[in-house]
Amino acid sequence: MNFSLGRYIPYESIIHKIDPRAKIVGIIALMVCIFLPMRSWTMTATSLGLSTILVIILLACTRTGIHNILGSLKSMWFMVIMLLLVYTLMPYNSLPNIPVDDNLGVAWNLNGWTVYWGSFAAAGTILMRLVLMISITVVLTASTKPLDLTYAFEWYLTPLKVIHFPAHEVAMTISIALRFIPTLMDDTKRIMKAQESRGVDFSHGGLGKKIRALSSLIVPLFVSAFSRSEELANAMECRGYDPKAKRTRYRILRWKWFDWVFLILLLAILALYIYVCVSGFDPYNFFFGLTLQ
Amino acid sequence: MPITFKDVFFTHDPNTPLAANALKGVNFEIEDGSFFAIVGKTGCGKSTLIQHINALLTPMSGEIRVGEFVNHPVKKKRQLKKVPELRREVGVVFQFPEYQLFEETVEKDVAFAPKNFGLKEKEALDEAHKALSLVDLDESFYKRSPFDLSGGEKRRVAIAGVLAFKPKVLVIDEPTAGLDPVGAEEMMSLFQRIHDEGTTIILVTHDMDIVLKHADKVAVMDDGKCVGVYDPKELFKEDISSYSLDDPLVYGFAKRVKQKGLDLDVSSIKDVDSLADAIIASKGGIL
Ligand SMILES: Nc1ncnc2c1ncn2[C@@H]1O[C@H](COP(=O)(O)OP(=O)(O)OP(=O)(O)O)[C@@H](O)[C@H]1O
Ligand SMILES: [Mg+2]
Repeated sequence: MNFSLGRYIPYESIIHKIDPRAKIVGIIALMVCIFLPMRSWTMTATSLGLSTILVIILLACTRTGIHNILGSLKSMWFMVIMLLLVYTLMPYNSLPNIPVDDNLGVAWNLNGWTVYWGSFAAAGTILMRLVLMISITVVLTASTKPLDLTYAFEWYLTPLKVIHFPAHEVAMTISIALRFIPTLMDDTKRIMKAQESRGVDFSHGGLGKKIRALSSLIVPLFVSAFSRSEELANAMECRGYDPKAKRTRYRILRWKWFDWVFLILLLAILALYIYVCVSGFDPYNFFFGLTLQ
Repeated sequence: MPITFKDVFFTHDPNTPLAANALKGVNFEIEDGSFFAIVGKTGCGKSTLIQHINALLTPMSGEIRVGEFVNHPVKKKRQLKKVPELRREVGVVFQFPEYQLFEETVEKDVAFAPKNFGLKEKEALDEAHKALSLVDLDESFYKRSPFDLSGGEKRRVAIAGVLAFKPKVLVIDEPTAGLDPVGAEEMMSLFQRIHDEGTTIILVTHDMDIVLKHADKVAVMDDGKCVGVYDPKELFKEDISSYSLDDPLVYGFAKRVKQKGLDLDVSSIKDVDSLADAIIASKGGIL
């Protein structure tokens, strides 16, 4: 297990310096780009390819190794196999969401069991989208302090205060949750070590053994999480925390010119993707007169 | 089982900005059957070091030998052979072990490890009861939930959970932290008893009085290295403040008394009793 994935990593990159408010919107724009359905497999491949390049650049900026992302995929192999099975065993086009493109032709045909290359392409698309999703989230969390993230959330939620939406409380809850992810991971590591010393084997053994092993991890984890939350609540109350109180801030978010640049760039990319998606614009045909079908 | 550390290097979270070089070439040896203390200031790598003894961590380079077993750098931990056998021989009690409790009753929790190491339910419970009586918890505790106990009682249950499988080497990380003085004393006399019955004890502690009273050997760690293995009394003769260590109370007292003119035999002092004896002896047997 890679516990460092998803943590804030203190580097001094451009991505780190971008205002979290801009970053959140930009990242959401990028996610929408990735999930926009394109008209043909050529355009799906092209759009995903371009997104991949963009994401790799972002990852390089935050210095997260791509091998880290691929490493996190290892635990998803089961899902990948299931995906492939579902897509190849199901009759084509009976699947919702991702229409299987039959222009790619038939991969094989065994006594009526027809498998199209398009099925593989569809499965590959889903997988690719997943990987990109994970990578983008990692870019955001690796380059933004959890506290800054919640300030940004709170800032976006502030207008809702007019309709008595508890913006500050929600932001506080989120920031506490984010703050405790690494702590819980450390706890997990520590409890696993203690139980391994008592002869628990987390990686081998049958189902019954695995369940026992897991319960020896999860029960102490919950106990420590609850006791922590109680302690935290008490500590906050002792210091006179009042969610309704008006408070000032030590760190104030400042919007700079490169935040505009980043935001406009990503929104422009989103606009382009949406345009291509809606109009069915095919650059290969338009510029080169090719019909890649 | 003798334990040797040879050029052990270890880094937490390698290849990330959070990387911490916790061990930077540790070399020393622990003899079979000794009561071995490890001291050093906060963050010098003691807890990291002891996790190598039962292969919870594998070194980046170098090796640790525990009897026949060799813990050396591998890509995947499961490449190390015979880890379950090793963990049966080497019991580790962590800093604040009370976090490891999870069963509904105290006796079940203590029987958990023996069962993992292959004992039948019944035998495991027998061992659990024996271990619980070792740590002075009587039958009234057997059926209680471990989560309803006080901090000190939880600690004893957790320690019993390791004693229950009778390891040949017992590694303990700061067992007395946060206990009341009497509780701490009882805890140490328990480990002394277990040691006297033939178990090798490796104890990490910040309490120099405990080191002086119980240990036959003490390793001093500083910044990820072992700066030396000493006889406790030899160690306290030297100036040790540069390792953020302090003289044991009794020893400091004896030194001060000696400075003020009483001719004490400092080398025989281990605890309050032997200090009193030394003072009387220096007075020619009468006060
Ligand atoms: N799980 C971990 N991840 C990253 N770094 C760690 C981890 N555990 C320890 N370290 C680092 O390794 C170094 C040695 O830590 P270790 O816990 O071994 O010290 P210690 O000697 O046991 O200290 P103490 O006396 O406070 O228990 C420290 O600098 C610490 O920050
Ligand atoms: Mg420690």
